[in-house]
Amino acid sequence: MVASAPADRQARAAALIGRVALADQRAFEELYRLTSSHLYAVALRIVRDRGVAEELLQEAYVAVWHHAASYSADRAQPSTWLTAIVRNRCLDHVRKRELDTVSMTRDEGEGAPELDLPDGGPGPAELLAAGAQAHAVRECVETLEGGSRQAIALAFFQGLSHSELASHLAQPLGTIKSWIRRGLERLKGCLERAQAPR
Amino acid sequence: MNLSRPDRRERLDALAAEYALGTMPARARARLARIARADATVARALSGWERRIAALADAVPPVQPSPRVWHGLRVRLGLDGADRGSRWRSLPFWRGLALAGFVAAFALGIALFAPRTERPAESIVVVLAGPDGKPALVASVPPGERALAVKTLAPVAVPAGRALELWMLPGQGAPRSLGVIPHDGVRQLRLDAPPEIALRGIDALAVSLEPAGGSPTGSPTGPVLYSGRLERL
Repeated sequence: MVASAPADRQARAAALIGRVALADQRAFEELYRLTSSHLYAVALRIVRDRGVAEELLQEAYVAVWHHAASYSADRAQPSTWLTAIVRNRCLDHVRKRELDTVSMTRDEGEGAPELDLPDGGPGPAELLAAGAQAHAVRECVETLEGGSRQAIALAFFQGLSHSELASHLAQPLGTIKSWIRRGLERLKGCLERAQAPR
Repeated sequence: MNLSRPDRRERLDALAAEYALGTMPARARARLARIARADATVARALSGWERRIAALADAVPPVQPSPRVWHGLRVRLGLDGADRGSRWRSLPFWRGLALAGFVAAFALGIALFAPRTERPAESIVVVLAGPDGKPALVASVPPGERALAVKTLAPVAVPAGRALELWMLPGQGAPRSLGVIPHDGVRQLRLDAPPEIALRGIDALAVSLEPAGGSPTGSPTGPVLYSGRLERL
């Protein structure tokens, strides 16, 4: 869950999720202590508001409590499962907000979203490189062309949509989409070779 | 659009990637999530990309959320100690507790001195069902016996090298194993005490999928396949 995510931490989290599935409150508390600061950081980057991030984090753990039985250690690492739960909630939130903004307050100065990072942490590009380092897939990220790399980093670490990326990177929507598509295809092939199948 | 058709594989993969990366607009997101709930091929494509992309998230430096989050969770889920701070200090609570203790002692006195024949032993029945609500196993303790009979209603498909393990779920605290059970037929599990003691405080039973021979950790490690409330008759 933190940067190096050692195997025993993952194993511990998997065992805890198994106990949470049986409504074990102590296991739930330990799982929360083990994972919440990482998941909160992930949420905060996407929604960029502490209050909203905390609310979505809480909802995510409510879902973990209720759906722990659907987790299967054969199919996904605990960190993948938990990160997806949090990210999907946050992305649903920002995409819906964007929809409201576009349809209702488009011309009321609610333009491009604030890109300031919480606490002035590392930028998306550094994080992408660091993530790659942590997982020994640096080559994969390095094979990406500049545009693809920048767009994927911004999308992943800042939760930007296609249209936000287009305005942030000053490129046509079509270019952004093809950068992302090409970059993801290349990442997939490379990660498939680098990541041990789970 | 049927995304799981073989000739749409590439399109599905591209959509799943955009979903996991998060660049997809709200309506398309919602649509794809809905399709994935009903279509296993689509669900697999999404989880494949979630796995690839979650690896990138490990680089984010952790940030401690406010204690409000955990407190809110305890209240929302009704976990133990959600309002302990106020309750343990309140006088009515202590009065209530003293009264409850008195009633319990009184009831116990009656139970101890009552002639045995007037208090037939209770029988215990648990119907364990899967997420679809379909009953799969029945566990029962006939009155006066000291064993739990577990009967599968239909053979359960258990992957090779895996086993079914039965757990007692107390109202508070960790699940306790009752042992590995067969995927078919009936099994008698001996209780280490009379049922009213062995099953005291137990609200429910559950069956999880474990490595052959049972959970190596003493706690459930696999998915829960069936569960059911304990009924005292």
